[in-house]
Amino acid sequence: METSEPPSETEAGASSAVRPRNEAFSAPEGRTWQRIPTALAWYRRLVTGAGCLAVGAAGGVLLLMWGHPLWAGAWLLAALATAGVLWFLAGLFQRSWGYVEASAELYMSYGVLVRQLVVVPYGRMQVVDVTADLLEQALGIATVRVRTAASTADTRVVGLPLADAVQLRDRLAERSESFSTGL
Amino acid sequence: MLPPPPGWGPPPPQPSPEDDIATGVFRAHWMIVPLRVLAVTLVFVALVGPILVMFGFLWVLFVALAVVFGAFAYALPSWWFGTFGLRRDHLVVHGGLFLRSSREIPLSRLQAVDVVQPLLMQVFKMAELRIELAGGDGSAIRLRCLPRRLAERMRVAVLAHAAGLPGRSPEASEWPFYRLPFPLLLGALTFRVPVLVSFILLLMLLTAFVVFLEPGVLGAAVPLALGLLRYYWGPLVRYTDFYASLSSDGLRLRYGMFQRRMQTVPPGRVQAVRIVEPLLWRGLGVARVEATVAGYAGARQGDSADLLPVAPRNKAFTLVNEVFPGSEAAMVPLVTNREWSASAAGVDERLFVSVRGLFCRVTEIVPVERMQTLRLSAGPIARLRGRATVDVDTPPGPVSARAADREAGEGRRFLDALVEYGRRARVPSAGTERWATRATLHADPARREAATGENTAQEATPSVDTPEE
Repeated sequence: METSEPPSETEAGASSAVRPRNEAFSAPEGRTWQRIPTALAWYRRLVTGAGCLAVGAAGGVLLLMWGHPLWAGAWLLAALATAGVLWFLAGLFQRSWGYVEASAELYMSYGVLVRQLVVVPYGRMQVVDVTADLLEQALGIATVRVRTAASTADTRVVGLPLADAVQLRDRLAERSESFSTGL
Repeated sequence: MLPPPPGWGPPPPQPSPEDDIATGVFRAHWMIVPLRVLAVTLVFVALVGPILVMFGFLWVLFVALAVVFGAFAYALPSWWFGTFGLRRDHLVVHGGLFLRSSREIPLSRLQAVDVVQPLLMQVFKMAELRIELAGGDGSAIRLRCLPRRLAERMRVAVLAHAAGLPGRSPEASEWPFYRLPFPLLLGALTFRVPVLVSFILLLMLLTAFVVFLEPGVLGAAVPLALGLLRYYWGPLVRYTDFYASLSSDGLRLRYGMFQRRMQTVPPGRVQAVRIVEPLLWRGLGVARVEATVAGYAGARQGDSADLLPVAPRNKAFTLVNEVFPGSEAAMVPLVTNREWSASAAGVDERLFVSVRGLFCRVTEIVPVERMQTLRLSAGPIARLRGRATVDVDTPPGPVSARAADREAGEGRRFLDALVEYGRRARVPSAGTERWATRATLHADPARREAATGENTAQEATPSVDTPEE
């Protein structure tokens, strides 16, 4: 880096000493993350809770039928504990989410265990669409999915209120057109 | 070294009037009809014949005759109606007999053009023309069993249209870049650790089989032989007589003995490149160059991704500089992520370069204007250690460039630098469609003049001729 950008080397070298580690995932210069409403946390809690309940109940009933009431209780408890942990993680996940529409790129940051910062230039967006499954519709939220020519990155903005999602899609689609540089 | 067969060299510069390909409809070689009938009949006789023989030989003859007529009744009209032709700068392909289909392809969007001649087609002087588009596996246009001259002229016309010139313009002149000597190919393919080890193992197993007459040994020998067939014999046959040349229409590759191929990758179609140097090749100073081209999706990726199968290291870097004009891949300052580490990464105004691999060294090069998305990610352990990884995503292909396991703040600086350089490099005028009429790419002025002079109805493009510099 030293030859390519000498000024940033000294400035960033000094700041990296004082920066805490999460600063690497901070919003771009002079901007703050747009946060996602809590409906996303409830969405994930409902999905994971229903999953845990189903697995716990099925396993518990099976173990009861085989005549292991103690194991059935333990299984149910484990399922409940998992649901509790996931309940907590869903809140963390929702608070970890943020996006910024910068001048030429869309920034996204999310993840509790694996922290990610994804940058998508507007000119690279091929398709922008809005999807909402049944539960998302019930909660009034939607997912904006951005497709680029690369298939490795999962570029989505999840849990936006439907009206915001539609507006974001329209803005992104318009910018992807005006910044377009081909493939 | 085999001399290239006639017809694979540059065709005559000025096609005669009856060779005009820009108008009219074309179809595959008529030979395809009897060949198809023959194939269907043979398959039928081989599969159903043994059952019918029980009823008597006359039955076999009778039913086979019926199949011949049936196949002919299908093959003839489907050959006749399977036409294609150029309409302005679109390629129109009709096909299908019961379910008629018609595809219109804007040629300015093509990603690569290949002419392929398997052995059987070489015998009948036929070729297949493949036009790769960016839409993935299903979007390639394959025109099978064309007469070879037609395929050649079609390729020239298609490339001319893609370059933004009229379809009658002559083929761009080319200059030789690299011819792979056969001994080097043979030696380099042999001189690799996995190949050498499997050779020795195979010989030991065969010796054990001969000495002890133990047939169980063959159980291990068969997978080894298959592996050698795939990774040693396969590339050896594929890349015999490899010849690469450069032209204003991009990179041209000709290779193959049993299956002759000619690939044309137009300028700006290579999304990313990687240079692979296996352990023993570093001693020889040779490398392999693979590229990500958006058209080569799915199964054809492994087929067509190699730009240079074996080449001296400096040739490999020269090719990278040719493919990404205006940049110097070897000059990008690389920073290792920690001391005594094999993986390093660097970025300058034009390129992102990453090196990894202690034994097999892989250098991955992505031009900053071709990055799709950028990702900075850190798993739980990496975060405890204060480390992060920067991924540079490109369309699906062999290249996956990343600056792995950097110090978190440094990773972020990498990301910011890439974003900044990418923003500067991605100017809308830098697109690569119709490259011959743009001043940003190295065009061939003589060819453009020849083309516009020949066809005055086409608008002349004098204003873009002079670069600003």
